[in-house]
Amino acid sequence: MIRLERFSFTYPGEDQPALSDLSFEVPAGQFYGLVGPNGAGKSTLCYALAGMIPHYFKGTLSGSLTVAEIDIAQSSLGELAGTIGLVFQNPFNQISGSRFSVRGEVALGLENLGVPRDQITDQVDETLEQSGLADLGERSPFALSGGQQQRLAIASILVMQPAVLILDEPTSQLDPVGTSEVYALLHQLVGQHETTVLIAEHKLERLAEFTDNVLVLNQGRLLANGPPKTVLTDPLIEEIGVQPTRYTQAARQARARGLILKKDEFPLTLQDAQEFFDDAAV
Amino acid sequence: MLRFESVHFTYPGGVEALIDLSLSIEQGERIALVGENGAGKSTLAKHMNGLLKPGRGRVLVNGEDTRRKTVAQLAHIVGYVFQNPDEQLFSNTVQDEVAFGPRNLGFSPQEVEEMVRSALEAVGLQAAASEHPYDLLPAQRKLLGIASVYAMDTPVLVLDEPTMGLDLHGTRMVSSLLADCFSAGKTVILISHDLDFCAEHVERYIIMADGAVQLDAGIDSAFDDPGLLERAGLEPPQLARLARALGIQETPGTVVDFLAMWEKHRRRRSS
Amino acid sequence: MSTPTLYLPRDSRLHHLHPLTKLALIGLAIVAGATLPVTLWVIAVYLLILMPLAAWGKVLPAFLRSSLLLIWPFALSLTLIQGFFAPGEHILLQLGPLSLKLEGIQLAADYTARILVWLSAVILLMLITRPDQLMLALTERGLPRQIGYIILTALQIIPRFQQRAETILDSQRARGLETEGNLVKRLRALVPLVAPLILSSILELDERAIALEARGFTRAGPRTSLTTLKDTAPQSAFRWLSLIVMLLLILARAAGWMTA
Repeated sequence: MIRLERFSFTYPGEDQPALSDLSFEVPAGQFYGLVGPNGAGKSTLCYALAGMIPHYFKGTLSGSLTVAEIDIAQSSLGELAGTIGLVFQNPFNQISGSRFSVRGEVALGLENLGVPRDQITDQVDETLEQSGLADLGERSPFALSGGQQQRLAIASILVMQPAVLILDEPTSQLDPVGTSEVYALLHQLVGQHETTVLIAEHKLERLAEFTDNVLVLNQGRLLANGPPKTVLTDPLIEEIGVQPTRYTQAARQARARGLILKKDEFPLTLQDAQEFFDDAAV
Repeated sequence: MLRFESVHFTYPGGVEALIDLSLSIEQGERIALVGENGAGKSTLAKHMNGLLKPGRGRVLVNGEDTRRKTVAQLAHIVGYVFQNPDEQLFSNTVQDEVAFGPRNLGFSPQEVEEMVRSALEAVGLQAAASEHPYDLLPAQRKLLGIASVYAMDTPVLVLDEPTMGLDLHGTRMVSSLLADCFSAGKTVILISHDLDFCAEHVERYIIMADGAVQLDAGIDSAFDDPGLLERAGLEPPQLARLARALGIQETPGTVVDFLAMWEKHRRRRSS
Repeated sequence: MSTPTLYLPRDSRLHHLHPLTKLALIGLAIVAGATLPVTLWVIAVYLLILMPLAAWGKVLPAFLRSSLLLIWPFALSLTLIQGFFAPGEHILLQLGPLSLKLEGIQLAADYTARILVWLSAVILLMLITRPDQLMLALTERGLPRQIGYIILTALQIIPRFQQRAETILDSQRARGLETEGNLVKRLRALVPLVAPLILSSILELDERAIALEARGFTRAGPRTSLTTLKDTAPQSAFRWLSLIVMLLLILARAAGWMTA
């Protein structure tokens, strides 16, 4: 569904490419995580996948990037809208500002696509229901909490039934309650939809819950691409500046101090860690 | 150091943000102020440097009523790092930005220079001293925001979400800056949702909900009441959850603590 | 956070009128307020047209509160300025070199009445019309979509802008910025307050533009709308009639057919 071949991108006036020689594929319907330290190029990659690069942010491209069989560089943002959705960090900045109700806000994308009114009504209702916003339909988008606003931002994209959904650290500005709300919604997506999802996230415990695969980016390059349990417990992660879970850290330290001898696989989640330390205790 | 005596505060819109809140914070304490958005954490913190004055009750900073002090005067005692650096940075260079606070406090040019140098060093931005703040990465701007208040060398430092958006490198910078504060005997108050980070640095948790302090405790009893945590929108830190899952009675703050507790627990079980 | 719109949702016949019909009603009141030659007639527009309309729309208390709250500064300043400085013969009160004259008071009353009609007509429109529906009606009639968008967004973003300005003020004061004191001090305080406001707003605009792009805002091709505005033949006829009456009023005034 997403395919990059030797894709590079350099912002105007910069010597170093922001994305360098990236090649990877995301099969349809898969849920991919994206991690890397600050400045690794995660946001740039998200923008490129959504076509904001090169159509909003200019720069020099090489290689190829196709999403849903569309060559991004040859397309336009208007054509991509509805096929590729983008959600980013600040929920407030994603509210159009031109709608006075949550319902109207969700409908905006479909209106821009010229979808007939009956169909808009159906799709909006369904999406509101799915994203847990049905009771807030007549509220002002500005009267919502951060978590609700971010769910609204996601709903406003989902309603267009995109083939691909790109999320750039969607919970980084939310409190734990808001974060849980957003993840509950994403969880639902995994089961119900054939949407292909790529999410940049630094809360590794969350990624562990439901990603099929994780990409690791550092200085614009792809360092690793594999299942979360392998990739996110790799010492490499910590070396490049990604905070591992405390479970992984505790286990690795236990091993380093010789408290635990046999284990080579380090835990990523609470459940893994419990098993890890319980086994070692016997 | 800081004393809240039956403080009530109501916003002009009529929202009661603090209800009969009493609290006392001593010099050198390391505190996490936690709770859901809207619980009253920021309102409470803004009373510490006089940005807000109590409607009823009083707030004493170093024994003096904040109502009789200006914010600029209280800025000598309480440094406050706001969450979003973009709502603060205005200078043409990184070093000017950091110099702003110390200059306002009336330090001499030599002192200011020294304070700027050590603050930039503390967050690893020495090399960027002459750059424009907006040419920095967002995470670097965040560190700059912290440095610009740290430079003021106040005995009390309040940090609102200091690790938000920071990677491991940035988080470690904040950790070492906090360590410097602790060794200098400063009072540090973290307002944060990042309890994993808090657990590694603080010794006292003030859990707020509905405009009141719900629990004021050390790590051993801060996460005992699941109902309260739910109400305050909190999830215990990862190591605390792991310790509980393993049946360890104590609550670890750091990985080192955890391993020591686990060793003890393991020995007890095998004997 | 609230939006700075006065709109009050009520189940009234007035609310259900097409936004352009409401606009025509309000336009009529404004033109009448500008062209009617006699002060009493202007006051009658307020008392006998706007107030009953507000009552019909179930927003009378809010209408009275807002219109009277806004008018008194005008009334006061006009009375003082016109009362003392407009030329006139009938002196009501002598205060040293200043004299309060009847003609001035009459002039002030006339201006105040007209301003009252204009202000309260706009207030009434805002009380009974959802801004997005009004914009929808206008864009359907050819107003460029971008302009409609900018107006609506401005309405909703302004409170956020204020809030951010307050946060910036707080954060600089916390760094020891003195915002009180003499003019030089205050002017010097301006840069740390205004610069972050502008810079952070630019960053925000960029993100908002991207979010809109991702939802097809600049896509070519026809658009649809979730909300439809109900219009009727009598309403359309009424709007044409209002337009004619407005033109007649202006013409009559300009040609001097109506005099006090």
